[in-house]
Amino acid sequence: MRYWLQRLAMVILLLLAVSLITFAAMNVLGDPLFNILGPIAGDTENPENLAKIRAAEAQYYLDRPFPERYVRWLGDFVRGDFGVRFSSDGQPPVTDLINERLPRSLLLMVMAQAIAVAIAIPWGIGAAARSNQLPDKVSTVMSFMLVSLPGFALALVLKYVFAIRLGWFPLAYNAGNPWAERVHAFVLPALTLALPAAAVYQRLLRTDLITTLQEDFILMARAKGVKRRAVLFRHALRPSMFSVITVFGINAGALIGGALIVETIFEIPGLGRAIVEAILREDFPVVLAIVMIVATAFVVLNFLVDLLYTVLDPRVRT
Amino acid sequence: MSRDEGAVIAAERDVQVDHAEGTVEVKRLGIGFWLSIAWIVLIITLAILAPWLPLKDPDQNFVDIQGKGRPPYSPSGDHWLGTDQDARDMFSRIIFGARVSLVVGFSAVAFGFVVGGTIGLIGGFVKGVFDKLTSFVMLVLLSFPALILAILITSLMERSLFTIALTLGILSIAPVSRLARSASLVFAEREFVTAARAMGAKPSHIMIRELLPNVLIPMSALALLGTAVAIVAEGGLAFLGLSVEKGSTWGKLILIGSDSRTLENAPWVSFGPVVALFLTVMALNYAGDRLRDYFDVRELAL
Repeated sequence: MRYWLQRLAMVILLLLAVSLITFAAMNVLGDPLFNILGPIAGDTENPENLAKIRAAEAQYYLDRPFPERYVRWLGDFVRGDFGVRFSSDGQPPVTDLINERLPRSLLLMVMAQAIAVAIAIPWGIGAAARSNQLPDKVSTVMSFMLVSLPGFALALVLKYVFAIRLGWFPLAYNAGNPWAERVHAFVLPALTLALPAAAVYQRLLRTDLITTLQEDFILMARAKGVKRRAVLFRHALRPSMFSVITVFGINAGALIGGALIVETIFEIPGLGRAIVEAILREDFPVVLAIVMIVATAFVVLNFLVDLLYTVLDPRVRT
Repeated sequence: MSRDEGAVIAAERDVQVDHAEGTVEVKRLGIGFWLSIAWIVLIITLAILAPWLPLKDPDQNFVDIQGKGRPPYSPSGDHWLGTDQDARDMFSRIIFGARVSLVVGFSAVAFGFVVGGTIGLIGGFVKGVFDKLTSFVMLVLLSFPALILAILITSLMERSLFTIALTLGILSIAPVSRLARSASLVFAEREFVTAARAMGAKPSHIMIRELLPNVLIPMSALALLGTAVAIVAEGGLAFLGLSVEKGSTWGKLILIGSDSRTLENAPWVSFGPVVALFLTVMALNYAGDRLRDYFDVRELAL
């Protein structure tokens, strides 16, 4: 128990450090006033503009010292209020933007993971069942190639083959379309994220399966006359899932914010698009919010995976 | 290694399982390793010699409205890999693009190795407060999603070759330092270090003369993998419009051909550089992987 409290404290400390660094970087290197007011931000000669600058500074708390602003932001963030945007009217609030974008990124992540698992389980079982024979060697080469193909390159290949040549999927996402069409438009980007993940998962599964298949209870099941296929799916699969579950959890955290480039190529307005746009506009509150959401998801999921691991496998407990 | 790379590495762990079954095999790097090295050497040589090779000027527009109509032109004897929308020769653009991509990749890794390697080596050797502190900093670095950190830095600075390489170098500090630390921790317990200590060697002497050579061996495999990651990361930044502003990289070349219309009418514009990038990344990955098996790095790293 004490170990877990320490781990939890570490998680919180990590997130504080991430938020402090991001907050400081945005404040030291950027010029928020310019984003709010435009070109008049630097004009302190003209009393009219000066008054506007003072007003904006007061409104966005830019006249307060750095530590105070950080604490204020943190307090709001913890309560789920991500603040206003650095634009002339501060609209829409960052929270609204996140509420609009986050579900898309989550859906993309869930679809990618579902496809990855659906591909990886039969693939891994097939490779393990014929380990070191020709099909297994082909599968090794294939997974190696998939892992070496950068995401944006895979995205282009899939887009070219399935959207342009075959025309099975739309070229871009349209937020106005009905529900089913929007999900349809998500298939290719999800597949782009899923294929390399599937290659990694099947590899892990194959390794663990090969170990499991040498256990006595498998021999026992075969001796009782259980069919080979049933042994693989019913007896061997479950105890061979530990590594896959671990990496699956870690990957889920990474995918929430890691779909940046894929979202760009398939023109999906998710969190990834939002942060790129926000960084280019120097809209710091949005950047901060998204970095924090992604980092939190990543760190917390890692923590949960560790926790789950000890529940599933008592040997890991300390 | 960062978490997602760790997954890939864990995935390769099965080689040992296969070997555990019995016969002791003589370790070999294999033909694939040498093919990979050959490809890497070829690309590097072409990139270095590019200005002196009989290549077409990568920035010249070979427009030929009468003969061939509007560019882009498809691959032919004249333009081996076709031309882009501005009728520039893709083959020579890919070779010249390799210059920037490779420089970014190698210098990023070099930077990460010097900084991260030093921190990790010292941390693993002296332990104590310094080790605790640096380990925490590395954890913080690793909990930033890597690409977002890269965007954050590149968007706030001028995007020259130097700053892009530096950014990717900063990203590689944490994984490199982790490996160096764990290697250093293991070797610091070995007899030859104890012997050096007993003979009254200074800690700095032990670190440089005893630990460093041993730590460098497993790190060489990571250097190849890291270069691959950095080259890919540059491509990713290019897709977000955040790569080097001047000069063309593989990432930027791919981006130029990646809009739906060009992709439909002239797929060679982006797929030429995609293939070059893919082969190079695969060669680096494969060579790095074989080296890691050869030196059995995972016993220290994981």
